[in-house]
Amino acid sequence: MNRDVIVEYVPLYVEALGRTVHIGLVGILGAILLGLGSSLILYFQVKGFRRLTRAYIELFRNTPLLVQLFFLYFGLPKLGLRITADFCGMLGLALIGGSYMAETFRSGLEAVDRIQFESAKSLGMSPWQTFFYVILPQAVSTSVPGFVANMIFLLKETSVFSAISVMDLMFTAKDLIGMEYKTMEALTLLVVFYLIMLLPVSVLGSLVERRVRYGSYGD
Amino acid sequence: MKRNLVQKIASVVAAGTLMMGALSGCGASNASVDSNESNATVESTDSSVTAESAGYRTLDEIKESGTINIGVFSDKSPFGYVDENGEYQGYDVYFAERIGKDLGVDINYVSTEAASRIEYLQTGKVDIILANFTVTEERAEEVDFALPYMNVALGVVSHDDNVVTSLDNFPEDEEIIVISGTTAETYLEKNYPNIKLQKYDAYAEAKTAFENRNAIAWANDNTEVIAFAIENEGYEVGIPSLGSADTIAPAVTKGNSSLLDWLNDEIKSIGAENFFHADYEATLLDTYGADYEDTLVVEGGEVK
Amino acid sequence: MDLMGIELLFKGQNFLRILGGLWVSVRISLISVAISIGLGLLVGALMTLRRPVVRAITRVYLEIVRIMPQMVLLFIVYFGTTRAFGIHMEAELAAIIVFVFWGTAEMGDLVRSALISIPKHQYESAKALGLSRAQTYRYIILPQTLRRLLPLSINLITRMIKTTSLVMMVGIVEVLKVTQQIIEANRRTSPNAAFGMFAVVFVIYFLVCWPISMLSKKLEKRWSE
Repeated sequence: MNRDVIVEYVPLYVEALGRTVHIGLVGILGAILLGLGSSLILYFQVKGFRRLTRAYIELFRNTPLLVQLFFLYFGLPKLGLRITADFCGMLGLALIGGSYMAETFRSGLEAVDRIQFESAKSLGMSPWQTFFYVILPQAVSTSVPGFVANMIFLLKETSVFSAISVMDLMFTAKDLIGMEYKTMEALTLLVVFYLIMLLPVSVLGSLVERRVRYGSYGD
Repeated sequence: MKRNLVQKIASVVAAGTLMMGALSGCGASNASVDSNESNATVESTDSSVTAESAGYRTLDEIKESGTINIGVFSDKSPFGYVDENGEYQGYDVYFAERIGKDLGVDINYVSTEAASRIEYLQTGKVDIILANFTVTEERAEEVDFALPYMNVALGVVSHDDNVVTSLDNFPEDEEIIVISGTTAETYLEKNYPNIKLQKYDAYAEAKTAFENRNAIAWANDNTEVIAFAIENEGYEVGIPSLGSADTIAPAVTKGNSSLLDWLNDEIKSIGAENFFHADYEATLLDTYGADYEDTLVVEGGEVK
Repeated sequence: MDLMGIELLFKGQNFLRILGGLWVSVRISLISVAISIGLGLLVGALMTLRRPVVRAITRVYLEIVRIMPQMVLLFIVYFGTTRAFGIHMEAELAAIIVFVFWGTAEMGDLVRSALISIPKHQYESAKALGLSRAQTYRYIILPQTLRRLLPLSINLITRMIKTTSLVMMVGIVEVLKVTQQIIEANRRTSPNAAFGMFAVVFVIYFLVCWPISMLSKKLEKRWSE
């Protein structure tokens, strides 16, 4: 392992980390919105959309992100729909993430007894009030562990973006190996930078989980 | 067979240890990386020698095993690709078949990407790389090249409604597609650092992205881009020759002299029967026509 | 009519080649899951021990698996170990090592939580009935644990099959790579094949993974009651 090589490579990895995090966060934001929307459609059994939502969730949960990206990035332009690699990464992450988040949120919602709607009604609350002030807070706290797991899963999944020419961490390592043959240096930095990206998320996630569990069980 | 199994188990154990070692302990990792580094710099010369002697198979070992592992492209038509029956075909493969025949061994083709070629040789995953491998000084420090069998330079192809004829003044907001680990990538990074590159692992991916207009141009070996423009409609090679005139040659793991010598003798001896001209006519004629035969083919290892 | 490349499925051996590629993926997953279950039982049992050293090691191990992308592990094993030790390793073996490394952690954690979720009174009742320690495990604890584990290990199979799409990055010719080869070989005659063929791969993965995850869900529901 050569220290000069490492020093020379670090800026490249920092740049790649920035790009990975950027795409990852936008993708995850999209996933949360998509997941929330889908879970609400399923929870309230919105007619006409329910089946479509179910199909979307099953389709994207049961196929690999890499295949989804290949289809979106290489296949769709044949129909005239061309998108940049970075955007495709965000879109792919939002789509696969949305299907995972939907399941997490839905099971969180289902865990809250529907009888609470009636109780709230007897207290004079409207259905919307009930949903936002009674059901949702409980659902969110039960969803937290799944949500954290999904976050980590999605940030890890960014590693496949390299296949569609996104210059992320993985691609940087592969490219340096291919161009300059410094395998050990490139791989070591790859591991270090993934740790920098994911260790805080993992630790923070565990803390939040503990907090929520503490909240739900009381003292 | 038995030895194989033992090796496999040993490698599983070793891999596990390394993974634990390389990854374990976030707090401790700094320290361990440091110590690895200092060790490595001291012994780098000897360790590379020992690693390599274990990393390749000599000519006799290959013959004894009855199979040679040859790394070729599986998605770079017409040089190395797989046809609809799952058979490897192309200019490189035609030569590989001859090597297998003259050595009297079976061939195990290993599908490679451009960026993995050196790695595959250095880790002994293949005995020979026959994947349109351009000879460069940097690469020659890592692997041993045999005599050349083809001429090559770089070229740039574009869509015919927006032909790029020069890389000076290349539009700032546009990108050029390259394949990771090719000479085109190295050349452009070095000589045109301001041009944005869009990099792919595999030929199939790069070509599809180029077709889809994800970039206005694609830089690669000129043989490859010329073939692409001829085979597909709507493209023009605006820059047919870029950089220095280079050659393409088989490569073996550094230090594998028995195999290297055999390959050089082979290239010379089949040159006497004009083997590579026959190879061209069998695999490239359909694409390039007869005009390129003398410019492309290197016979008997002698560049004119 | 432009079939967007779907017609290539029926050209030559293409369809069989795709199925062959699929088999490579499925084989890697099945072997890995089988080994992971075995090792996972062991690791899971280890994890219930209250030894600090064991706990620290398994904790670090689980955390690595939790946060390192499989692709990174794959590169480390495939390129890193061979570089570091000069051993030649088949790509498929490298893939199985990574999958087992990952699967064992997940199974181990599941086994651990399944084991500790069995109420203490069952051990005590068994003892009261005069069952030996081995008998208790054989007839009481293991059947319940396995029942809890089965749906989850089936679920692990689908996740592994999905993750096998990554192995093309280390040169294993599986479904996705075969598809690329087909697109490449027919670029001139079927220029739009990238759409049709990648759609086919999409559907194939779905057809393989969906029934398995349905089965896992069903078993989970039935046995949790």
